Amino acid sequence: MDNEVTINIKESGPPRFRRGTTDIVFDVFNIAVFSIFSLICIFPFYYLFINTISDNDLVGKGLINFYPVGINLSNYLALRDVSDLGNSFLVTIARTVLGTALMVAASGFAGYLVTKHKLWHRSLWYRFLVITMYFNAGLIPWYLNMLMLGLTNNFWAYIIPGIIAPYNIILVKTYIESIPKELEESAIMDGAGTITIFRKIIWPLAKPILATIAIFGAVGNWNSFQDSLILMQSSPELYTLQHRLYVYLQSASNLEAIMQGGSGASQVLTNSLNSKVVKYTISMATILPILLVYPFMQRFFVKGIMLGAVKG
Amino acid sequence: MKKEETEIRLRAPITPVMTVYWFYRILIVFAFIMMFFPAFNPGRISLKISPYASLLTTGVSFSGITQNLGRAFTQGWVQKGSFILLMISAIVIISGSVFCGIGGCMSLGNNRMRKRGLQFSAAGSALMLPGLVGIFLAYSQVATTEHPSRIEPNFSSGFYIYSAVAILILILSLSLLLWLRTKVLEEKMRMEEKYALFLMFLPMIALAFVFAYLPLWGWRYAFFDYTAGGTLGRESFVGLKWFRFLFQNSATVKDIARVMRNTLIMSGLGLITSWLPMAFAIFLTEIRSNRFKRLVQTLTTIPNFISWVLIYAIALAIFSTDGFLNGLLSMLPFGPDSQINWLMSADNTWIKMLLWGIWKGIGWSAIIYIAAIAGIDPQLYEAATIDGAGRFGRIRHIVIPSLLPTYFVLLLMAIAGILSNGMEQYLVFSNALNRDKIEVLDLYVYNIGITDGRIPLSTVVGMAKSLVSVALLFFANRASKALRGENII
Repeated sequence: MDNEVTINIKESGPPRFRRGTTDIVFDVFNIAVFSIFSLICIFPFYYLFINTISDNDLVGKGLINFYPVGINLSNYLALRDVSDLGNSFLVTIARTVLGTALMVAASGFAGYLVTKHKLWHRSLWYRFLVITMYFNAGLIPWYLNMLMLGLTNNFWAYIIPGIIAPYNIILVKTYIESIPKELEESAIMDGAGTITIFRKIIWPLAKPILATIAIFGAVGNWNSFQDSLILMQSSPELYTLQHRLYVYLQSASNLEAIMQGGSGASQVLTNSLNSKVVKYTISMATILPILLVYPFMQRFFVKGIMLGAVKG
Repeated sequence: MKKEETEIRLRAPITPVMTVYWFYRILIVFAFIMMFFPAFNPGRISLKISPYASLLTTGVSFSGITQNLGRAFTQGWVQKGSFILLMISAIVIISGSVFCGIGGCMSLGNNRMRKRGLQFSAAGSALMLPGLVGIFLAYSQVATTEHPSRIEPNFSSGFYIYSAVAILILILSLSLLLWLRTKVLEEKMRMEEKYALFLMFLPMIALAFVFAYLPLWGWRYAFFDYTAGGTLGRESFVGLKWFRFLFQNSATVKDIARVMRNTLIMSGLGLITSWLPMAFAIFLTEIRSNRFKRLVQTLTTIPNFISWVLIYAIALAIFSTDGFLNGLLSMLPFGPDSQINWLMSADNTWIKMLLWGIWKGIGWSAIIYIAAIAGIDPQLYEAATIDGAGRFGRIRHIVIPSLLPTYFVLLLMAIAGILSNGMEQYLVFSNALNRDKIEVLDLYVYNIGITDGRIPLSTVVGMAKSLVSVALLFFANRASKALRGENII
């Protein structure tokens, strides 16, 4: 069954064999290349992190390169004084929780309904949803449509359009089709209605796939930038975290002003802030939630990659 | 024989009344859709109200409809009360439409349920009428203003359409109710399962319609002379002007040529390096230590989950003038004297973007191949070993051939998406110096449409892109079918 597919790396790869000189050279080279590339992948995060917890004067001079010096967490405490940031955090958390929950519920229910052959004109409606993956009207018509619906400068613009995710519906549908029909049939015999069957039988059984779409949906929501950029042009209080960070990165001088003007900032801090440190700290604070859920995500990767492959 | 008979018996006969029912339902669907279209908004009693305001917006957001009228209120040209009346009327019409909608849904049930549904829709359409009267009153109040040129009172044609629809629904509901009186009603309200399931599915259909199909209606902007805040009227219709403009205006032609060059080069580089994840997977699975393999996978997949904005933040930390790399170079005895600004410079922009893309995506893209390698039948390896294949022989004759189908599908999808590079990466990395090299089609549409506000032109470009992309997708699907006998969509 599909849900059993995890990357079983233990059994993967070719069988063992006797190694010759070429093989050893190849292995050493291979391991070296992968080690270096892995380092390149992780080092920037490490670099950002050590710079946020080090002495700010040293950071300003660019002296923190490989290990932290003068470890302290005052920079993270200072984030409280960057006023717009808290707002963006709240907006992003709200959209991640609410948007993901609604998307998962809708995808689960819709995925279940399209497995019901009795649904009136089932294949027509199913196609109606699936086609939307392969075309879009373009950025500007989409924007004008949102404008027309009153979904600009409006928090619900983050939530409502994301409820319908055709590819997730397909994933759920495929998964539910692999659940033995007898379970559902016996529930029907007991007099359960569609919604009861969905809640009591389908939903618990489909949890692996629902968890997959939930976690990828949540990361997508957390990383969302484009909709905020285009739809919230005159509502800075509704910027998502990524958008807020983008604004900060674009305007270093503005950032200095925020810090200097920040009321309690100078008292809280033991060492002086500079724009570099603030940028690093905000970036790190934005990355950390992803890094925290990352270990839990890994077992959903195989299903997730298929999700990514089609969504492009 | 027997089966056919029962089928005939089960299928409901199409009677004239059923036809009337379908007409009634379609009318209700139409009344519902009208709420979203500004063109049908009966509540645009002044041209100062945004041309984007649909009836729904009028009923939901007071600040939305009055945003251009602040001065009119303070100067006393119009009364705020008129607009409050307008908003309340809109809410009344919306609730009437909702009632009609409930009635329309219930009309799919048995006769008893239909009766209740018809009562609902009769009540709903009757409710819409006072709402329309309210809008008319609000209009007549606004029309008596002493400053018509500042307020621009407007009597929307949507008013007539709404009135006609409301009256028609009312008449149909009442006459169908009369027809039901001749029937013996069932004990309980029931609905056939197929319709019940359909009604549960209806919200998804509606959402998909609103957010995926409705934007197509925006393609009409391509045929009008339109600036933000203006209106689409007969006088602003310009036919194919903007399509010709795209090919005749020399500045635009130059832009398009440049943007297409960037798009195709970056997509092309992506296609050329599209085998890298496969190689990554093959070489990674050749490593014996499982712990090392897992560690590499864990570390190389992280960047995929980081947004482009954050990657730009990382790029700043590493490559900016006061970043890691410049700091490191300045410590070297033979390092460069001055700091190098890698991010600002326009040198090798395409290669840099490619490398960022690879850095972000390769570990993730390799997973699908790693899973495929894990699924190879071990007997194949054994057979190859017996035939005398060494390590590289097995890679060449077993691993690669078994990965090629996957690679092929992904390659075709990449070809279909050759015009869609997305804009986030290029937007965050763009600056004054590298702009000429980095602007891809998606970013160009954003720049001219959202930033410069040239809506018709950007719609034309977006339209062309969408059509070409769909054509490419069909071509890719055809190619897949011809070569492998499988659809990819």
